[in-house]
Amino acid sequence: MIEKVLIANRGEIALRVIRTCKALGIKTVAVYSDEDTNSMHVKQATEAYHIGEAAPAKSYLNQEKILDVMLSSGADSVHPGYGFLSENDDFASLCEKNKITFIGPTADSMNLCGDKMKCKAAMLKAEVPTVPGSPGLVKDADDAEKIANEIGYPVMLKSVYGGGGRGIRIVTNDKELRDGFESVTGESIAAVGKSAILVEKFLEKTRHIEYQFARDTQGNAVHIFERECSIQRRNQKLIEQTPSPVVDEETRARVGELVVNAAHAVNYTNLGTAEFLRADNGEFYFIEINARLQVEHPITEFVSGLDLVKLQLDIANGEPIPFKQSDLKMNGYAIECRINAEDTFMDFAPSTGPVPDVTIPAGPSVRCDTYLYPGCTVSPYYDSLMAKLVTWGQTFEESRTRMLSALNDFYIQGVETSIPLYKTILNSDEYKNGDLSTDFLKRYDMINRLTADLKTEKENKTDAALAAAIIHSEYFKSRIQNTTSHNSHWKDKLD
Amino acid sequence: MTNYKIQDIEKSFDGKIIENLGNNDYVIKINDAEHKLKIITMNSNGIEFILNQQYHKAKYLEQSTNEMNIVIDNVPIVINLHTHFDKIVYKNSGGGTAGGVQKSLKSQIPGKVVSISVEHGDNVKKGDVICTLESMKMQVAVKAHKDGVVRNIKAKETGTVAKGDVIADIE
Repeated sequence: MIEKVLIANRGEIALRVIRTCKALGIKTVAVYSDEDTNSMHVKQATEAYHIGEAAPAKSYLNQEKILDVMLSSGADSVHPGYGFLSENDDFASLCEKNKITFIGPTADSMNLCGDKMKCKAAMLKAEVPTVPGSPGLVKDADDAEKIANEIGYPVMLKSVYGGGGRGIRIVTNDKELRDGFESVTGESIAAVGKSAILVEKFLEKTRHIEYQFARDTQGNAVHIFERECSIQRRNQKLIEQTPSPVVDEETRARVGELVVNAAHAVNYTNLGTAEFLRADNGEFYFIEINARLQVEHPITEFVSGLDLVKLQLDIANGEPIPFKQSDLKMNGYAIECRINAEDTFMDFAPSTGPVPDVTIPAGPSVRCDTYLYPGCTVSPYYDSLMAKLVTWGQTFEESRTRMLSALNDFYIQGVETSIPLYKTILNSDEYKNGDLSTDFLKRYDMINRLTADLKTEKENKTDAALAAAIIHSEYFKSRIQNTTSHNSHWKDKLD
Repeated sequence: MTNYKIQDIEKSFDGKIIENLGNNDYVIKINDAEHKLKIITMNSNGIEFILNQQYHKAKYLEQSTNEMNIVIDNVPIVINLHTHFDKIVYKNSGGGTAGGVQKSLKSQIPGKVVSISVEHGDNVKKGDVICTLESMKMQVAVKAHKDGVVRNIKAKETGTVAKGDVIADIE
């Protein structure tokens, strides 16, 4: 039985895990870097251990140091959160060797999920559709052309070594394919000294729809509905919601069955997420399994009524999943906005520094998981996610308007945030109508619409802002002149 | 009488307190309109007040003689103030939009300096990359804010910069 959990993470996810452990009477061990001495997870955990310098490689990614703390603190298990070591199969295997329960899949299963080629092969075997393309690397341009003609243009040439948008070409005919093949090869060789290219069907106006699933050590598996995470920037999710506006009950069950098959196919244990691309014609294509708890898990918690961290602990304890697929009923609608410390107008560049003041939204069916408190600091060393703001409603409209009102109440002084952008998105007709796609921001010109909205917001506040400024400047004038008697009361009020 | 200009809004406003009614009630005038205002609390960091029967909360952030940064009901607003006397001095000193672009290129974010792409004396155009910073696992280019010649490079490779630090001067 798990009695003491080390949380190998920081920030809001460390707090999220601590919260469930506390409710279950399980002890928690926090680890922290120099940068996090004054962070909330250190104060909330039963025990806290310093593990090194601010740079992640010297602290939250330092497996030996974390193992030392696991052994010396007497922790019987470790929760990796997301990011850092959560999908590192070496770390999972290190825990297994030291008889510490890793709250997540086995190292073998994690390794399989992390290897795109092997995972794709396992899915094909389990008859889970993947994006049409070459079964592996293509030999040469001739081979690529043959496959492109089989699956149909447009296709994407992808270097397996290139990341972050480099080493990718979208081509629409044989000639473009031959030119593209040459340039992708060149780029890849220039960057890493070798080249290996895949061909994949290019899908336009796709949605990102993923499924939460759970599988226990006895091999029982369920899916816990879908989450639509199409609103993204640079392939990172910004807003998630469940149910998806394009998934009806029949589709939910049909794709859900594929998800359960996928979980069996990689011999998965614990909670995971199967990600799909949904093409505009309604077809679902498997992309990958995320072998960890996801940032957006709270929306699933809202509509399922489950505590997913508790479910993780139960499965890690070797218990069977305490419900059947047919017991799960989807209740209502939930939305999550990732409150990031970033400047929308500087291409989402990070914004860091002290946060002297914070107002955290609250209210019925409003949940905010955050590490922020007045006087805290947003560190440049770690991820920009400051808070997950989640709302629930009996209808989509109720969850949307609750989110807008919570966003209005959320005030973070000192850093730029993604809050204004989310208000523009949630107010847009495209969002209201569920017309989502992974290129939503660009497709609907959201950044320019945000500029217009900010201007309107300022105009609406003109009188109040001027009133505040007038009072302030008259006060200063009175301090400098300090002559007329009617000004003397300022002094009483202000000092 | 002070003249107020809100950043991003074309119109400018004249404003003043025209009457103190006692009991923290005031009448203020913005352009030609009079408004009733009641102060609930106030100190040098902020004010809470009721304006025309509506509650507002403002924080006073950084301020200089003729610029105020305030957050009104969670909306950040920059206000430029000019007494009419200020305006004349400002114009005569060559201020205003014409030649008023600052020479210092400042960092908008804190971060580690990964590389510097220019040397002292280089001619640069607005938008040219001056240096690259790393923050939160991302690389961000700092670009020239105007055309000119690079002078006084303050940032050092592998060093760090805080938000607002001068990277270099462009003259």
